[in-house]
Amino acid sequence: MMHTPLLRIERLTKTYGDLTAVDDVDLSVEAGEIFALLGPNGAGKTTLISCVCGMVQRFTGRVRVAGFDVRDDYPVTRRLVGVVPQELNFDGFFKARKVLAYQAGFFGKRRAKARARRLLEDFRLAEKADANTRWLSGGMKRRLMICKALIHEPVLLFLDEPTAGVDVELRDELWAYVRRLRDEGTTVFLTTHYLEEAEHLADRIAILRDGKLVLLETNAGLKSRFGQRWLEIRFQEAVGDDAVARLGADSVRRLDDRTLRFSYREEPSTLAQSAIEPLLNRIHSEGLRVAAIDGGASSLEDIFRQVMRREQDASPVPFPAVRPNPADN
Amino acid sequence: MRPSPESAAPPAVDHPAAVLTDSVRASARQRVEAKIAEATQETNLLGTFTLFVKEMERFLTFALQSLISPALTTMLWFLVFGYSLGGQLSEMRGIPYVDFLVPGLVMMAVITNAFINSSFSFFITKVHGTVADLLVTPLTPNQIIIAYTAASVVRAVAIGAIIWGVAALMGASTLHHAGWTLGFLLLTSAGFGVLGLLIGILARDFDHVNFIPAFLLLPLTFLGGVFYSVTLLPAPWDTVSLFNPILYMINGLRYGMTGVTDVSVGLGLAISAGTVAVGWAVTWWLLTSGKKLRE
Repeated sequence: MMHTPLLRIERLTKTYGDLTAVDDVDLSVEAGEIFALLGPNGAGKTTLISCVCGMVQRFTGRVRVAGFDVRDDYPVTRRLVGVVPQELNFDGFFKARKVLAYQAGFFGKRRAKARARRLLEDFRLAEKADANTRWLSGGMKRRLMICKALIHEPVLLFLDEPTAGVDVELRDELWAYVRRLRDEGTTVFLTTHYLEEAEHLADRIAILRDGKLVLLETNAGLKSRFGQRWLEIRFQEAVGDDAVARLGADSVRRLDDRTLRFSYREEPSTLAQSAIEPLLNRIHSEGLRVAAIDGGASSLEDIFRQVMRREQDASPVPFPAVRPNPADN
Repeated sequence: MRPSPESAAPPAVDHPAAVLTDSVRASARQRVEAKIAEATQETNLLGTFTLFVKEMERFLTFALQSLISPALTTMLWFLVFGYSLGGQLSEMRGIPYVDFLVPGLVMMAVITNAFINSSFSFFITKVHGTVADLLVTPLTPNQIIIAYTAASVVRAVAIGAIIWGVAALMGASTLHHAGWTLGFLLLTSAGFGVLGLLIGILARDFDHVNFIPAFLLLPLTFLGGVFYSVTLLPAPWDTVSLFNPILYMINGLRYGMTGVTDVSVGLGLAISAGTVAVGWAVTWWLLTSGKKLRE
């Protein structure tokens, strides 16, 4: 058991008529990870997790949770898994507390009152425990859905677009709670198209496009492989095109007549030698006077856009390295 | 000069990514092993009972509509046909017409309410999206069928009992054989309860759920001898009526309540049991295969 991935997806394919929603996906998630699945709308993220959680079972390929097949051994796997669906749902016949009691009962959980009370407190729903769910606000309904998913103490929690349509305060609370869950031993698999969410939470990130897994990397590795750093320099005087050309920078963009943005590949080990220092030396030798310097790294959002664009173009040419100076090669 | 592909500026990062440490991994693995041990031992009878109780509580939250209203409607049928128009008939098949009428009205209410209870209840979970909460549970197809069907049986039999009790207070004398009476009530309500669940699974909009009770059950029930004995029908309608399965259910209950029947009680019992078996088998296949529900 120790070496079995908590989630193993092998050659998963799900079609709806002519549409292939998930296309031959292989994926593994280790216990303790926070795993983010990114993709644009319609990429197949929800379908993929639906196959794991039991909401979809007519698919080809194999999905196992802790070594148990999600179709053959579903009474076991569904106890291991919790899911917060993307779409808000509520059962207007019942109070919040009752909803949790029933959900616990479905999983055979006895004496779940204390856990329900704790979850309601954790998600600031204690005061609404005896309110009919139809009278809860959208944010409260979202929180109640998370409580429902956690009531049977799953070890693998799926969050399908957990912060879609929620305010910043609730988003931050959810992120903090996800980290706490992971610290307590829960593995978290989230789908999102808020790239900031994956960037801040995930250990590993996969990108799905048109049902295909186009990228799978660690959060840090993704930035290292695709990320860029940028240096924005504002000069005291306007810089002519000829002067810019003499700087020899391969990737430079003029933001206005006095401001240039230089981009280079994010490679920390060679960063100082190969990128910044030669550039600054050339600026100095050109006699350009610097007014201000700013810098930073590309976000996951930038990387995501690049990967999406690359896949869209379906170009056989590998992703181009952005070199600070061709003369350095 | 070549334009760079990056966007204008990265967002401020004030939430550093969490750290996956060896102790977190170890803790997660321990939790998984403990949970597997727990999950592989449980039989989850509580799950079935919980779903049954939930379904019971659901229809009890609107008892005025789910219990009292159908009972009241049926009592109006009873007053109009039993006492007003029925006053013109002294008896039917050798028993007072009021007594003849009661089993038909009870069965009409039982069939309709058993079907509506499970079909609407399940369909509404699809409309609200809460069906996902059920689909992700470890409940087996049989557990789901048992819970929905049992709740339908309770609702239908409760309405039947109310009608029977009020009719008794109004002078009807209808309990010839308690065993047959109870047997037909339970089997018929179970049969239409499971058929209701089947339609609830298949339905894609409210029209699909409404179609069966309005265009199939109601005509078949009316033509199944609720108000008259099929022996009174002219040929070929007396023979045509014998192809109506609900005729056998109504007459089975009528036999239990009054000792009078137009058809074989044994055949009625077989048809009622067959309805349960067929409905159960098809529903079980749908839930097991995932067709229409887990696609």
